[in-house]
Amino acid sequence: MTAELLMNAAAARPRPSFAARVVQRLIGLSRRSPTMMIGAGIILLFALFAIFHLWLMPHDPVRAYPTEVLKPPSARFWFGTDGNGMDVFSRVIYGSLYAFGIAVPSVVIGLSLGVPLGLWTGYRGGLFDEIMMRVIDAIRVFPIIILALAIVAATGQSLVNVIFVIGLIDSPIFVRVVRAEVLALRSSNFVEAARALGNPTWRILFVHLLPNALRGAIAQTSVRAAWAVRISATLAFLGVGIQQPTPEWGAMIRQGAEFIVTGQWWVALFPGCALIVLVLGLNMFGDGAQDLLDPQRKTTR
Amino acid sequence: MTLSRFLTRRLFFSVPLLLGVLFFTFALVRIGGQDPVALLAGPTASAQELALVRRELGLDQSLFAQFLIYLGKVARFDLGQSWLSNKPVLSELIDRVPVTVELMFWGVLIGALIGIPVGLRAAFRADGLYDQISRFVSLLGFSIPTYWLGLMMLFVFFFLLDWAPPGMGRISLMATPPPRITGSYLVDGMLTANWVAARSAFGQLVLPVLCVAIIASAPIIKQTRAMALEVLGRDYVRLARAAGLPEREVRRIVWRNALVPVVTFIGTEITGLVGTASLIEYVFAWGGLGQYGLNAIISGDFAVVQGYVLFLALFSVVVFVIVDILTFLLEPRAAGEA
Repeated sequence: MTAELLMNAAAARPRPSFAARVVQRLIGLSRRSPTMMIGAGIILLFALFAIFHLWLMPHDPVRAYPTEVLKPPSARFWFGTDGNGMDVFSRVIYGSLYAFGIAVPSVVIGLSLGVPLGLWTGYRGGLFDEIMMRVIDAIRVFPIIILALAIVAATGQSLVNVIFVIGLIDSPIFVRVVRAEVLALRSSNFVEAARALGNPTWRILFVHLLPNALRGAIAQTSVRAAWAVRISATLAFLGVGIQQPTPEWGAMIRQGAEFIVTGQWWVALFPGCALIVLVLGLNMFGDGAQDLLDPQRKTTR
Repeated sequence: MTLSRFLTRRLFFSVPLLLGVLFFTFALVRIGGQDPVALLAGPTASAQELALVRRELGLDQSLFAQFLIYLGKVARFDLGQSWLSNKPVLSELIDRVPVTVELMFWGVLIGALIGIPVGLRAAFRADGLYDQISRFVSLLGFSIPTYWLGLMMLFVFFFLLDWAPPGMGRISLMATPPPRITGSYLVDGMLTANWVAARSAFGQLVLPVLCVAIIASAPIIKQTRAMALEVLGRDYVRLARAAGLPEREVRRIVWRNALVPVVTFIGTEITGLVGTASLIEYVFAWGGLGQYGLNAIISGDFAVVQGYVLFLALFSVVVFVIVDILTFLLEPRAAGEA
């Protein structure tokens, strides 16, 4: 009787709509980690810049106005014009396209190299695992900017190479986190059972271990994306990989560096601010995500 | 365990690291699918020079033999020649070591003097307002591009306020550089009582050092806070509190115990900071190792790039040894276990 009543009551209460549930979940998340939600907001904002860049840019980002060279910010050119007479505001907007265009594929490359390797070395152990860990230690102590620069310079300077090199240097970090989780899971019952049933190794790795070992790697992605945005801009600032007059933030700061001691601050300031805000957003999101996804980190905090 | 035995063991462990780096620098000019001879000899080399380099590299032999030849050259302190300056790479690099060390030393020192107290204070007030702000500042420090910070500092302190000299090297063109004793204009100027040079060198140091300090302090704040929080959760701190020790004493215990891992961390961080400092050198035309290396990378002077990467690896080994000594002095027990 009472059970029936309860069921009726449950049926009578309307199920919250999908949108309402999403909003509720977001509110819950932002209570648990406000940092993460602010970060998510910033990332979303820049994603919108990148998607709607055609509507947001008042000028063509690579169109030079020869009569308007190095003009300070005005109603026509909100962020002023650069040394070629190009509109800095439009170029900053367009730069978000490059930021995502480099960060997303390079993190994907890092994940797709690092995760399988981490699964395999963690599961197999042995000599290969030892060597891998030593290599990763060596990379960790080394100034990574120099490493990335040297490899891009040696392999030929192109945007594709920049993306590959960033992904390659990122992969050891994913190897490390995935391997740590696999080591903890390796001797658990469900893995033993899967092995006893005669599953091939690849199936144990990718069907049984992968879903359980991915948390750490996922928590890292946002921080790695932040790093990818930073490092690609650094490469462009040094004129490696991306050349003038590409509307990329680092390349724009490179041009602005020429004018800073003569007082034309707007050429370098605005792309730098865009870079900082996006990287900060990605870092904040990553920081929050690590707190949520990595219970170990939480206890040490 | 005695200090000397401990150090020998550590140095022994750095041999595989150095071998790995040597392999990397060896591979660097061969992975790009470009002719290593052309990369090392540079675009201005004559056919004769090309032939000479080709013979030196032993390119007609197997890769393993080539690697051995490379090792042999490095063992004889022959790092090749820069095609840009036509000088031996090794002496060019050694000349620039004190220049970079000067910048790094002051930068990291000031960064630690900012970072450690801020991190400790944040940990003692975990989740309070101070903690929230310092956490944000630290995140900001992780996000600011080094070179952009340098540029903005130049704009504000040179162009707007005219407090600092323009970022063009280590000493004003008006001052005569002091004779080389340590390689640091500031120290040499003071040693030779050349106060004009010392003052000029000091003025040139301020902005780049500040940049390194700001970038270095962000991770130090974060790490100090985490370490102090960990110590705060330990049983002996709880015991000290339960026994009624004054809060001041408790904090003394906490920072003494958090200091060792923080010093170790700063050591590992310094090696990464060399990259950051390179960019600052580049912006301020500092003329140290970093700027030299970056220019070599940009202009494709690969003999220099190889030597530079090798030097950085040596530098990290040296830093690790110094860190080990510090750890040993601060807490012999922990060092013995490591």
